[in-house]
Amino acid sequence: MNSMLDLFPSRAAGPFGRRLKHARGERIPVTIVTGFLGAGKTTLVRRFLETPQGRGTAVVINEFGAIGIDDALVRASTDEVTLMGNGCLCCTTRSDLQITLRRLVSEREQGTLPPFSRILIETSGLADPGPILQTFATDRALGGEFFVEVVAAVIDASCGLATLDWSAEARKQVILADRLVISKPDLCAPEAIAQLTARLAALNGYAPIDAAIGGVLDPQCLIEAGPQGPQPHAGLIGEAGHSEGIVSFVLSEPQPLAWPPFERAMETLIALRGSDLLRVKGFLNVAGCRGPVLVQIVQHLAHPPLELASWPDADHSSRLVFITRNISQERVEAFLLAVRALAAEAPLNRVAERVNRR
Amino acid sequence: MSVTDTSPLAKGSYEPVAWNFKLLAQHELQGFGGMGEGMSIQIAPDGRRILWLAHESAPKNFTGVDVSDPRKPKMVVQIDLPQAHMRSNSLEVTDNVMAVAYQTQKVGLKPAGFELFDISVPEKPKSIAFFDCSGPHSRGVHQLWFCDGEYIHLSAGAPDFTPTHPNDDQFYRIFDVRNITKPVEVGQWWLPGTRAGDSAPPPERHPKPLLDRGNRAHNTNVYPDRPDRCYLGYIDAGMFIMDISDKSKPKPISRWDNSPPYTGFTHTVLPLFDRNLLIVTDESTIDNAADWPKLIWILDARDEKHLMPIATCPLPSPEGYANRGGRFGAHNIHENTPRPTAWHSDQIVIGTFFNGGLRAYDISNPFQPKEVGTFIAPAPAMSACKSIQMNDVFVDEREIVYTVDRFSGGLYILEMDF
Repeated sequence: MNSMLDLFPSRAAGPFGRRLKHARGERIPVTIVTGFLGAGKTTLVRRFLETPQGRGTAVVINEFGAIGIDDALVRASTDEVTLMGNGCLCCTTRSDLQITLRRLVSEREQGTLPPFSRILIETSGLADPGPILQTFATDRALGGEFFVEVVAAVIDASCGLATLDWSAEARKQVILADRLVISKPDLCAPEAIAQLTARLAALNGYAPIDAAIGGVLDPQCLIEAGPQGPQPHAGLIGEAGHSEGIVSFVLSEPQPLAWPPFERAMETLIALRGSDLLRVKGFLNVAGCRGPVLVQIVQHLAHPPLELASWPDADHSSRLVFITRNISQERVEAFLLAVRALAAEAPLNRVAERVNRR
Repeated sequence: MSVTDTSPLAKGSYEPVAWNFKLLAQHELQGFGGMGEGMSIQIAPDGRRILWLAHESAPKNFTGVDVSDPRKPKMVVQIDLPQAHMRSNSLEVTDNVMAVAYQTQKVGLKPAGFELFDISVPEKPKSIAFFDCSGPHSRGVHQLWFCDGEYIHLSAGAPDFTPTHPNDDQFYRIFDVRNITKPVEVGQWWLPGTRAGDSAPPPERHPKPLLDRGNRAHNTNVYPDRPDRCYLGYIDAGMFIMDISDKSKPKPISRWDNSPPYTGFTHTVLPLFDRNLLIVTDESTIDNAADWPKLIWILDARDEKHLMPIATCPLPSPEGYANRGGRFGAHNIHENTPRPTAWHSDQIVIGTFFNGGLRAYDISNPFQPKEVGTFIAPAPAMSACKSIQMNDVFVDEREIVYTVDRFSGGLYILEMDF
């Protein structure tokens, strides 16, 4: 089988196609704001929309338990655009989300909607964000046109700790987030905040934690996911922390990786345990590639890898965050090592040859 | 999400767009911001980066803008045309020499030809040569290509050229300018049947009056990757790959013509050598999208004798643009000009679409070009048109994008973000 590069070669393209300036490429940035009922998502979103960074944001919101945001920036058809109006967005309205986003874009192209530059999805308080992330995970759904830059979870300072104890959805929201925002910290004692912070760090060791009084937050927090990889407060999360057996960990590797064995290994992992791979995200240093290669997997769905034009800094090591259910770091590491060892004994396959040619 | 009477469409107005492009600066060029299709960059002897721009129409000839700091463009010189009945439209810079095309409004007028300037001191362009292409059936030079310092390839009439139809007056001519003050013509080619006395019958014409734009040369691109080839747009006759291994006898190798059923005016042929692809543009020439669709085409050129269209760069349907004012559709693209001061990409195509703005396409999969950036400026002040009319684009090696309005907006300087 001929590949695109065989048919129409290019010295400018890498094995994964055009090299992008940033992970988003040309795709429309998406911010997902999640958080339990009453946590303060709407207030946070409203404040964000008032900032310069919030300009040109199309808000997609479901009404369930939340206040509709009228007069958001998508004024021409606020009701239809922002209000889904039919239950839990991430569970039963996944197809509606796709239709809504596609219609937004096509009407933007026709000039019937303002030329928004970002989509912000405010999920229902009862929502598990996993299915939404899945919707964005592949080209076949929304991943070709939209890029989830930030998943922000809002946690109520006063009742968040209790909610996390009894609600599996609330825990899932925290676990899958790129950023955690503690709302209403002014209403609580510092000790309570510290306790909540510790609980959040235990659930999600990699997401920066910020606080927002009256919804006021550095707007960059809803635009940038923050640094990938281990954060100062990170630690390997033991299963004891979760009744669901969810763990998160980072695999890092300073040496360039050969793509084919990694790809095969991940295919196998997805085939065997896809439903337990809640989120895998990060950059790989792939042998033969100039820039880092972005890898994103949500359960059974893997987005096609994308190469960036250059590394953001001097650290060129591969960094991959795993959020898994009942799969330990040791298992994943051992599996990847075994596949690499086997592959090293095999002759290079065609893909490897092509990668190494460039 | 439906079109209502409050929709911007109903009013013919529109909202500006900057998607994956960031506007760094706009310069109205002192009120003479109606720009043609000549854009070229010089690194002056003193190190300044000067962008040279041809004007769409009289009274201005060309303008030099210091774009060393793309956020603070400074106009350094603006030159008047010698006559009001002419336009410069096209220019190219090689090192410190600039070639400028002169076309008159009617045949028989002067000066019609091309002029060479020494621009070592950008503030004081000094004429060093002029070649007269005027004649009883000639409007002079519409477009020229001057990238190697040795030859100028251009679209022009000639004193001794009598076309079989008045619209077919400009053909492909090659000039040797190795002696820079004394250009010498070394070769020419015209579509058989367009010159009186040809044995071939005159070509069929596109529908009159608006779509009959002539079987004549437009862009004449030649690249060092294939110095024996000219990629020739020939307006209503489609495009040609020319064998110019013997410059005295250019010979067509292949031809591709999309019209009819399309509406003609093949403008530019950009070869992507590594990829065996050609990017071919139409030019929209009629207001209100009356000649829609005018497109950028992707051709599979693995076999240069058998060119095969495989895709077009997607444009929105014309309903949202037809009543904005002015033209809507393809025109110029960044041509990977073979100069060190130009950006070279075979992954991204950037084109201007008049009121459709500036659009960038990812062609990494040439079967499915994908729009990755859009810039539609507000209608410029004092414009004869109520919309932006993006006319030409050039990208320098720093990946700074320069684009111009056809009527009054002047120069827009952008950053790509995709």
